[in-house]
Amino acid sequence: MADLDRGAEPASWTFKLSAGSFHKLSALLTLALLIFAFSFGNAAFFSINNGLTVLLQTSVIGLLGIGMTMVIITGGIDLSVGSVLALSGTITGLSIKAGVPVAPAMAIGVMAGAACGFVNGFVITKMRITPFVATLGMMLIARGVALQLTGAAPISRLGESFGLLGNGSLFRIVEKTGGIFPKVVFPGIPYPVILLAIVAVAGAYLLRRRQIGRHIYATGSNEEAARLSGVLVDRTKIFAYVLSGALAGLAGNVLMSRLVTVQPNEGVMYELDAIAAAVIGGASLMGGVGNISGTMIGAAIIGVLRNGLNMAGVSAFIQQIVIGIIVILAVYVDQIRNRR
Amino acid sequence: MKPDAQSATPLVQMDQIEKHFGGIRAVNDVSLDLYPGEVVGVLGHNGAGKSCLMRILSGAMIPNSGTIKVNGEVADIQSPHDARDLGIETIYQTLALADHLNAPANLFLGRELKTRFGNLDDSRMMAEAVRVLKRLNPNFKNLNDPVSSLSGGQRQVVAIARAIYFDVKILIMDEPTAALGPSETAMVGSLIRQLREEGIGILLVSHDMHDVFELCDRVIVMNKGRKVGSHRIEDVTKDDVLSLIIKGDLPHDWAPRSQKAVQ
Ligand SMILES: Nc1ncnc2c1ncn2[C@@H]1O[C@H](COP(=O)(O)OP(=O)(O)OP(=O)(O)O)[C@@H](O)[C@H]1O
Ligand SMILES: [Mg+2]
Repeated sequence: MADLDRGAEPASWTFKLSAGSFHKLSALLTLALLIFAFSFGNAAFFSINNGLTVLLQTSVIGLLGIGMTMVIITGGIDLSVGSVLALSGTITGLSIKAGVPVAPAMAIGVMAGAACGFVNGFVITKMRITPFVATLGMMLIARGVALQLTGAAPISRLGESFGLLGNGSLFRIVEKTGGIFPKVVFPGIPYPVILLAIVAVAGAYLLRRRQIGRHIYATGSNEEAARLSGVLVDRTKIFAYVLSGALAGLAGNVLMSRLVTVQPNEGVMYELDAIAAAVIGGASLMGGVGNISGTMIGAAIIGVLRNGLNMAGVSAFIQQIVIGIIVILAVYVDQIRNRR
Repeated sequence: MKPDAQSATPLVQMDQIEKHFGGIRAVNDVSLDLYPGEVVGVLGHNGAGKSCLMRILSGAMIPNSGTIKVNGEVADIQSPHDARDLGIETIYQTLALADHLNAPANLFLGRELKTRFGNLDDSRMMAEAVRVLKRLNPNFKNLNDPVSSLSGGQRQVVAIARAIYFDVKILIMDEPTAALGPSETAMVGSLIRQLREEGIGILLVSHDMHDVFELCDRVIVMNKGRKVGSHRIEDVTKDDVLSLIIKGDLPHDWAPRSQKAVQ
C-alpha cells in the first residue's frame, strides 16, 4: 500500500528519504533558521561566547531528553524527571554536608535518581500502573521528599569543588594582562557540554548498536510481538526508566553545581521541556520511534529559542507560548508527512 | 506419515488442557499429540479455541490446568522463551511483528546476532535474512524498510522465515497462508513437506480444506473449545470434516473411509 502511494507520486521526490531523516532534516532547518533570524536581530547572539551559553543551558534539558527519549521509545513517558533532578541534587548536597567528598556524593545523587527510576519501572511493569500515572506519582513523591529533607531551604556553602562540574571548562585560554581581570581569549568548552556530548554518543550507541536498544524499539513498536519473540519486555522497560532517572540525577548535579547551591525547588516543569525536545526531535509518544540525535536538535531548538528570545527582550511568558506552538507544529509536520 | 511414526515417543503430548476467560471456556479438556515427521491439522470454526490451544503450547498463554510433555518429559512452559528453548517455534495468527523494525531485525528479534564485542551484527543479520527470505519469496525486496510498509503477504513471509530459521523441532503454524498468493502458498506447502521429511512435527491451523487434505497426516477438530474429533486423513472426507467443524458431530452413517474400502 505504502509502495503504491509512493509510486503514485511522480518525480517530485526523486530521492527517497526515510521517515526519520526527513524529520531530522526539517528540524535542523528550523534550528538554522532560528539561529539566522536571531543573529540578524542581534549581533551579540552569533558569537562563540553566546553559543557556549546556549550549549550550557541546553545541557540540562539535553541530559533529561536522552533518558526521556529512551522511555518514550518504549511507549511510555516519564513525568518525574524534574522532581527527581531536584531530589538527586538534594541527596548530593546532604551527603556533602554529612562529610562525603564531592565526587562520591555526586555518585550517590545519581544513584538516588536511578533508584527513583527503578521504582517507576517496577510500578509500571509489576503493578501494571500506566506510565503517566506512575511517574506523576513519583513526580509528587520525589519533590515532596526533596522539600521535606531540606525544609524547602537551599543548601549552600558546599565548597568550591562542588561548583566545578557546572562551571569548569576545558581548553580555557586566558591571557595575563596588566589589569585586575585577565583577558579571556577562548572561554573553553564547559564541562556540562562535554558531559552531554559523551552521554549523547553513549545513548545513541546503546540504541543503535546494542541488543537492549533494539529491544527498546521493539517493545515500543509492538509490546506483544516483542514478548512473543522472547524479548524480556518488563526488564527492558525498567532499564529505560532507570536510565531516565539516573540521567535526571546527573542533570540535577550539573544544574546545582552550576548554581553552587542545592535548590530543592529547582527543575519544576523541566519534564515538559525534555518531552518537547524529544517530540520536536521526532520521537513518537505512541512508541517505537525516536533517536538521540533528533532529541539533541530538539533540545538545541528549545535552548536557542529561549536564549534568542531573552536577548530580544521577549518575556518568559511569550517564550512559553512560542515553544508550545513549535511543539504542536513539529508533530503536525510529522503527521502530514506520514499521511502523504 | 512415516511408517514408524506412531511407535516413537510423541514429540508433544498435551493432556487435558483447560483455558477459561471468565465464563468462556476457550479450551475445554483438550488432549493432543504430535509425532516426529507428522503434520497434524487443527481445524474448527472461528472462535473454536484453536489459537488459544496453540498459544498455550508456544508459551504465549498459561493454561488453567493440564500438562504438556515434550519428548515424553513434562515441560513447564511459562513463557515464549521456554518454548523456544524446547525447539517450539510459532507462526502466530497475528504474525507478532514489530512494525517499526525492518525484516532482518524482526527475523532475529530476541535472538540477535552479535559481533565479538557484543554489538549488533546488522550486516550479518541482513545477509542471513536475504538468504532465508529469498528462499521463500524470490522477489522479496525492500529489506531495509520497516515491516509496516510491507504487504500482508510479505509480512507473513517474514513471520514464517523467523520460525524456520532457527533450530525448530516442533512448528506451530496458525493460518500461515491466510494472506499469501497462490505461488507463495505453494511454496509454504513444499516447505511443510520438506520440514516433515526432516522429522519436524508440525501443527497446522487452517481453514483451507484443500491445503489440509493435501498436507496433513491427521486432523483434529475443535468445536466450542472441545475436541470433537481426531482422525487420520485417509479415514475422512472433506464432508466429514465439515460436519465436525460445523455441527461438532460426524454424519450418523460414518465409518472410517480406509476400512470401508477394505469391506
Ligand atoms: N485474551 C483473551 N481474552 C478473552 N477471551 C479470549 C482471549 N483470547 C481468546 N479468547 C476467546 O477464546 C475463544 C477462542 O479463541 P481463539 O482465538 O482460540 O479462536 P480460533 O479458533 O483461533 O478462531 P479463528 O479461527 O477466528 O482464529 C474465543 O471465544 C475468544 O473470544
Ligand atoms: Mg485463531
